Amino acid sequence: MASGGDPKWQKDAADQNFDYMFKLLIIGNSSVGKTSFLFRYADDSFTSAFVSTVGIDFKVKTVFRHDKRVKLQIWDTAGQERYRTITTAYYRGAMGFILMYDVTNEDSFNSVQDWVTQIKTYSWDNAQVILVGNKCDMEDQRVISFERGRQLADQLGVEFFETSAKENVNVKAVFERLVDIICDKMSESLDADPTLVGGGQKGQRLTDQPQGTPNANCNC
Amino acid sequence: MDFQNRNNTANKFVCPSDRQLALRAKLKAGWSSSKTSEPLRPEEQEAIISVIRRNEEIEVAERQRVGRLVERVEKIKQHAVERGPNCCRLCGDTFGILRPQRILCEDCRQSVCAKCSVDINIRYHTSERSREIWLCRICSETREMWKKSGAWFFKGLPKYDMPRSASATPIPNPGPGSMAGDTRAVQSCHATPTRPARVKKLTIRVNDSSSSSSGHSEPEDEVDTGVGVGVGVVGGGIAKGIASTRLQREDSFRLRAYGSIRSFIDGGERKLSNSFFFSRQQSQRPSECPEYDSVSMSKLRRESSFLRRGSVSSSWSISDSSGSGSNNSGNSQTQSQYQQHQQQLQQHCRDPLLGWLEIAISYREAFHSLDCTMVRARDLPAMDAAGLADPYCKLNIITPEAHTKYTRWQRTKTVHKTRNPEFNETLQFVGVEPEELGNSLIYVALFDDDKYGHDFLGAAKVCLSTVHSTSQYRISVPLGVEDQYSNAAEMAQNWPNGKMLLSLCYNTKRRALVVNVKQCINLMAMDNNGSSDPFVKIQLKPDAHKNKKHKTSVKWRTLNPIYNEEFYFEASPHDLNKEMLILTVWDKDLGKSNDFLGSLQLGAQSKGERLQQWLDCIRLPDHFHEKWHCLAPDNPAH
Repeated sequence: MASGGDPKWQKDAADQNFDYMFKLLIIGNSSVGKTSFLFRYADDSFTSAFVSTVGIDFKVKTVFRHDKRVKLQIWDTAGQERYRTITTAYYRGAMGFILMYDVTNEDSFNSVQDWVTQIKTYSWDNAQVILVGNKCDMEDQRVISFERGRQLADQLGVEFFETSAKENVNVKAVFERLVDIICDKMSESLDADPTLVGGGQKGQRLTDQPQGTPNANCNC
Repeated sequence: MDFQNRNNTANKFVCPSDRQLALRAKLKAGWSSSKTSEPLRPEEQEAIISVIRRNEEIEVAERQRVGRLVERVEKIKQHAVERGPNCCRLCGDTFGILRPQRILCEDCRQSVCAKCSVDINIRYHTSERSREIWLCRICSETREMWKKSGAWFFKGLPKYDMPRSASATPIPNPGPGSMAGDTRAVQSCHATPTRPARVKKLTIRVNDSSSSSSGHSEPEDEVDTGVGVGVGVVGGGIAKGIASTRLQREDSFRLRAYGSIRSFIDGGERKLSNSFFFSRQQSQRPSECPEYDSVSMSKLRRESSFLRRGSVSSSWSISDSSGSGSNNSGNSQTQSQYQQHQQQLQQHCRDPLLGWLEIAISYREAFHSLDCTMVRARDLPAMDAAGLADPYCKLNIITPEAHTKYTRWQRTKTVHKTRNPEFNETLQFVGVEPEELGNSLIYVALFDDDKYGHDFLGAAKVCLSTVHSTSQYRISVPLGVEDQYSNAAEMAQNWPNGKMLLSLCYNTKRRALVVNVKQCINLMAMDNNGSSDPFVKIQLKPDAHKNKKHKTSVKWRTLNPIYNEEFYFEASPHDLNKEMLILTVWDKDLGKSNDFLGSLQLGAQSKGERLQQWLDCIRLPDHFHEKWHCLAPDNPAH
């Protein structure tokens, strides 16, 4: 048995009764609350103790959306740079990204642009992104206003939410919106162009450069 | 950290300038390239490996799910009658006034009756209006599959494993005693042999020195060392079972490929092509290991009768036991135990085996050199239509920090046209400290050698902790799936001619192959200005429909041109099995002849990824299948 005997996880993971499978990735600086966010969504639990994620982790949750069962494999990545080689390896399979910063931490907000570059570099070119400002319950320590977050999201051409994993604000909404965006993207790529399916090129795209770009000089 | 101290004293490493950052972004090595990171501690490695394992289980289930989706569409297609324009494509009912109403499918533009079609309501989320369209069952199922498999996102089908249907279940030699129609036992048995692969894939411990016997180490060695959870003595029958499961898988892959081609041929021709196919299978047989012959023959018989009748029959088991039963009659006792045990493990044993690799490792302390002899590999995946491959190995050492030790990967020679290559080649790593052995891994990735890209065959890791200077370690390891290191190995290959992103689609309405030349990257610079003016010539050969050659526009002064240009080649799907798409990239020169930059060929004779794209394109028409390909330096016209 490979997993550490977590019955709930096994139930969801082994469940083959679903229509679509989406892989989502949560990224952002260290300690912005990625793991808490995921735990709130998947297990509805919260702990304020900080435990740094080791490399990567994921949880599986099946949701109902537009009378379809969607199995979400949500990857929680370590924000710390020393795990970067491991985490970036998982960008490639992700259909959606939750890019998170901490509204009480200026650095984490300033890094958003870097994370976008990471997504552009490593992910598939039609991957969808949502910008999330976490810890919005901590109003007294807030340094990034809602407006600044929204402006950045507009600038990047992505949707924006402010959330709190602690108070369970907007957590579900973020995932639901991301699933919706991906679903829209999916029907757009197939149904909107009935003549020749599969070449959906419209919609929000982060990349100007296609993926799969090989690198002859890569020595990693 | 030592590194930082040096920074301060030498004052050489300052905050990166914009230019440095830009260069670093070009390298695409991520931020981590600029820093030395702390090595991963054992418990961290453990945690990450357990996550990877959990993910693997999901991935395997996912591959099988996609395989089932593909199979479903294929089944519907096989049942299509295709009698002509005045009959329903699917059920064959003729249309008329008092007859079923004719409906035109939106995707394939063929006539179907109302019974065999689905009307779907398309909502435009942006404009709040909706439209109703009719699709035949084949096209609606294909669309569903495209969505459910995630192919819409990845612009092509992800990797999948075809489900082994009841008749195609390998039944790997359940001895005559256990033949009493216990299908569950049989099924579990077919899943089980891959168990060792699962356990061993991530870290292989060479802890059983007795298993590393000299000469041919038989598969049962691996079963013993690998399982290590008390399967107990496993007879040669099981080992044989592994081999035959493997074989089975390959056969079914081939059958799948041919089956899909066949499904495009009209009902009348179907028999013909069937016989063509089987004669082809047999002609290719001698190249396989002789010991597998009887098994593969019985398999073939089974498969062939399955194809003809499309139903399960009890004759499989009989032919199977006659084919290989003699070897294992003595082992039936052990096997039933084995099966029982395996039934419990059944659900975790779905990994496909990618074959085995036999390595001998020795360390010479005096020279600080590690000698790795790639002895042989067995049962590698087939890469071309004939079911063969051209394998070679790439090796590197992985440090405890999960980095590759050497920037240059060592490579063996290619052994051509075989799935059981005998490499017998020793590669030497120098500068390996004795204390490194304890926590490093040797990483071997096998690739298929081809002009247009090297396809991944399998990879293995071997712990060096038990390698001593006194004796040579010899071990057979099962090959696992791709990971970050194999990607790195692949990246390290040198493709001086660059790559091309190509999207193919068979358009059933226009009965034409649509070739979309999307873009090229890293082309060679041919002009004095360090750049080129590339364009692409496309032709189909030998062309049954006398299509003209096509050319893209010229993109001036670039090595990474983006074309996104579409070209149509009239051809029937049947023709496509004989055609070859030839793309050549040229540097436009005014006043002198154009310079050749690279070429790419795609067709049913292609290998690996190229063959996959070609077959997917025929099998799943009206969808674009997009893939990157490497360009070869030789001009096919010469």
